[in-house]
Amino acid sequence: MNEVPGLLWIRRIAWLVPRSRRSSWCREWEAELTWAWRRMSGRGEPGWWGRLRLQLRAWSSLTDALWERGETMTMTGWTQDLRLALRSLIRHRAFALVSILTLGLGIGINTTVFTLVDGVLLRPLPFPESEELISLQHEGRESDDQLPISTGLYQLYRDQARTIEEIGLYTTNQVNLIVDGRPERIEVQFVTPSFFTTLGVSPEVGRAFTEEEGLPGAGNYILLSHAFWRDAWGGDPGIIGQSIEVSGNVAEVVGVMPRGFGFPEPGARLWLNLQVDPENAPLSNFSADGVARMTDGSSIEAVVGEVGGLVDRMEEFFPESGAVTFLRGVGIAPVVVPMKEAIVGDVSTTLWVLLGTVGFVLLIACANVANLLLVRAESRQREMALRSAVGAGRGDIVRWFMSESLILSAAGAIIGVGIAVAAIRLTLRFVPNDLPRMAEIGLDVRVLAFTAVLTVGSALFFGLFPLTRFGSGHLSDRLREGGARGATEGASRHLLRNGLVVTQMALALVLLIGSGLMFRSFQALRALDPGFDPEGVVTAQIAIPGSVMEEPAQVLNFYREAQERILALPGVQAVSYSAAAPLVRGWSYSTMESEDHPRGEDELPVFGAWNHVGGDPTGALGLRILEGRQLDWRDGADGNRSMMISRTMKELWWPDESPIGRRMRFAMGGEPQEWYTIVGVVENAAQNSLQETPREMVYWPLTVGHADAFQIMRNVVLAVRTTGEPVALVPGIRDIVQTLSPSTPLANVQTLEEAMDRATSRTSFTMTLLGSASGIALLLGLVGIYGVISYIVSQRTREIGVRLALGATGTSVRNMVVRQGLVLASIGMVVGLGAAWAMRSVMGALLFGVSATDPLTWGGLSGILVLTAVAASWLPAWRASRVDPAGALRAE
Amino acid sequence: MGRLFSLTYPTAVVLMAIRHGHRYGFDVMDATGLPDGTVYPILRRLERRGVLEGVWEDEEIARADQRPARRYYRLTAVGEEALGDVLERFPTIGRLFEPGTA
Repeated sequence: MNEVPGLLWIRRIAWLVPRSRRSSWCREWEAELTWAWRRMSGRGEPGWWGRLRLQLRAWSSLTDALWERGETMTMTGWTQDLRLALRSLIRHRAFALVSILTLGLGIGINTTVFTLVDGVLLRPLPFPESEELISLQHEGRESDDQLPISTGLYQLYRDQARTIEEIGLYTTNQVNLIVDGRPERIEVQFVTPSFFTTLGVSPEVGRAFTEEEGLPGAGNYILLSHAFWRDAWGGDPGIIGQSIEVSGNVAEVVGVMPRGFGFPEPGARLWLNLQVDPENAPLSNFSADGVARMTDGSSIEAVVGEVGGLVDRMEEFFPESGAVTFLRGVGIAPVVVPMKEAIVGDVSTTLWVLLGTVGFVLLIACANVANLLLVRAESRQREMALRSAVGAGRGDIVRWFMSESLILSAAGAIIGVGIAVAAIRLTLRFVPNDLPRMAEIGLDVRVLAFTAVLTVGSALFFGLFPLTRFGSGHLSDRLREGGARGATEGASRHLLRNGLVVTQMALALVLLIGSGLMFRSFQALRALDPGFDPEGVVTAQIAIPGSVMEEPAQVLNFYREAQERILALPGVQAVSYSAAAPLVRGWSYSTMESEDHPRGEDELPVFGAWNHVGGDPTGALGLRILEGRQLDWRDGADGNRSMMISRTMKELWWPDESPIGRRMRFAMGGEPQEWYTIVGVVENAAQNSLQETPREMVYWPLTVGHADAFQIMRNVVLAVRTTGEPVALVPGIRDIVQTLSPSTPLANVQTLEEAMDRATSRTSFTMTLLGSASGIALLLGLVGIYGVISYIVSQRTREIGVRLALGATGTSVRNMVVRQGLVLASIGMVVGLGAAWAMRSVMGALLFGVSATDPLTWGGLSGILVLTAVAASWLPAWRASRVDPAGALRAE
Repeated sequence: MGRLFSLTYPTAVVLMAIRHGHRYGFDVMDATGLPDGTVYPILRRLERRGVLEGVWEDEEIARADQRPARRYYRLTAVGEEALGDVLERFPTIGRLFEPGTA
């Protein structure tokens, strides 16, 4: 970031300055900031502290701008009060500092979490009229089967649906590309020309795909992402019209998309034209995702109704298709959701819970400040009574107190924004990788507006408490009393302060329980058996298109040769290839059948996950054989037609007998598939997440078909297990792969342990945030209880003195004081448990493997709360027991 | 003669800073240690009363340095005269800007 900090601010507030002086004013400030920034940069990359100082200096231009406007010239009313309040706060530095830091912490973490909530949940998607965009997918068997959208259905909706203005298909893939002489595997999307019109985005340079380019036989065309254009071609517009080779096919570059464009997320480096035959689009190939734009005035319900009606009439539109029976069988139904919801997914609950959490922390912080203000209010009663006696009205008194609150709050906000800037940077580094829309997160005017509302709201909230001390009737009495403490005023005062402390304790307990439950979920997730052994395994994706090795036999030789050579690297124990790998690359689904269990007329087909494996999958991935043996190079098109199945698959069809020797095959309709003999049963392995219920899975060999004309998986995950550090093997593996096939890159290199971390990242992220929030809450709550008990002790010094003089022991006095803390904490605990009970269903949505009312968590944390509260009361109690009776009595 | 401006301590410090060669807004902030928000309003007020004069730096110099031109402040004749008042009222103020103490 080379932008000078604060320039934007100067431009924003320049409108305050009278027009005649504005440009000169702006020029002067910009010049000073630029000069200071350059001087700072001259000494190396400026740190956050330097940036912050410059930013603060830029903010101070506000007083200058206001001066120019002539506003600071008249110091009356509010400004006068603010000035007085500022002076008084400077006099009471310790009080001001504690309050400001407390508020800064509260406002800071609220700003941070709101930045996430705003960027991910609230802000509209970055496309024109994005509220009209919908995701159009399908499901079968009441959401058991996820079927995105087939080209046939796409064409059907495009032709028939009136509620849909335009619909586009996209599918994300990876291709090999030679960039700067090095093979690279990059993310691309195949999209229909309508994809861009649906989103309403046009290329920045060149043109988009034409309708003709979306028809079969049109040739290959490319749109580049802005970043890829800049990185690989230095932003040269001359690239338009040139041809590049993508996975062995030549394609012509026709345009460059605008900076930051990507759908559903930025990521694709280029787009290729997806070709659909409008006359003969197959109903059955559910390989793409659909994005659609509703017509003006249409609604989700209307789209569901119309599209559902079209699906019901499938036979009419696809009279020849064998897939109709299957789709009827699974009860296919359209799933239409607003695009934003589809992209954001289930992360919204997590974020709202986090926002609620930090809201609690702010409440606790406000309660602390309110308590401090109450103490100050006590000491200012006489002053206020005097002012009132000389004619200050209630309004004046409100203003005096509110100016103080506003200054505290505003100073807290400045610190809070500073905290937020740092915290957002930190959060973005540790945020779970499945959090959507990360590119859109940042501190901006919307967030600052939220912070401003929070600031004023907090000031009003805690500023009101001291006012309760100055009901109009009281003041003259107070003057008469000369500020002496009446016996009766104690009750209401203590009630208020105790109420605040009880609230703090209750809120802190709710947060403690929340973070405790998240911790238990994290433990439960970590304790799950993923069905494979992630330790010491590195994985990489390899793709060998036909343009690189035409014959499947060549590919097979490549796999076997690479396996041999990698096994010779030091420390390597096993090598495997597979079409999918647990938590690394998703599995495909298909219908299957077994010879023993022919499907009945009214029975739904079994929809299982399938994989192809070769090499040594149990050795490399750590899959566990429960029965029989694993697949190896003996199996496949060239040898035995063998397969392995998962435990769930065995339990489905052969619950009480051994499936070894039984036969299964794909049941896709259309041409008959071949039977494969089961040779082994393996433990269920996690596919996409650790939490999911295990599906029925089968493992086919890497090669399928007949020995003389077989097919081989050309796009595989290579897994290597080692006794040493797996990442250290990568250069060796890359050398071997590229010696054998120079144009084949290793893509998505990662260890299985990284994949495991990612699978638990959302839980660990929520846990960390909730944990920090509840830690802060507990700390603030303890400061609160400490403050209140100390105050009570100071008010009762005389009484304690009398007690001691009459023969009470230090221990009994100490116990008496600690008991007060204990009572407050216990009431807080009961209220907190009630609140946590009320919120158990919200929390339950985030948990795994632990009940939202887990007695161990609830009991343990309640105990911790009460114990720490007792500890916090102990110090003032100890002081009370040391009161010198004579001194205390004399003092009055 | 009535004073042209109210001679508060911050005003005095700003005048002395400029007298000692800290002529740009940010330099004055750095040299005086006054809160950032107070320096510019003081400069503006003094300029408007004719105690200071704000002058744009030579464009050529700024361009050679590849940055925007800065605006610097210098004492007018009135300002030089006012310094007498400053020293009378705050006799030790000059020490703030002696080498090694700023």
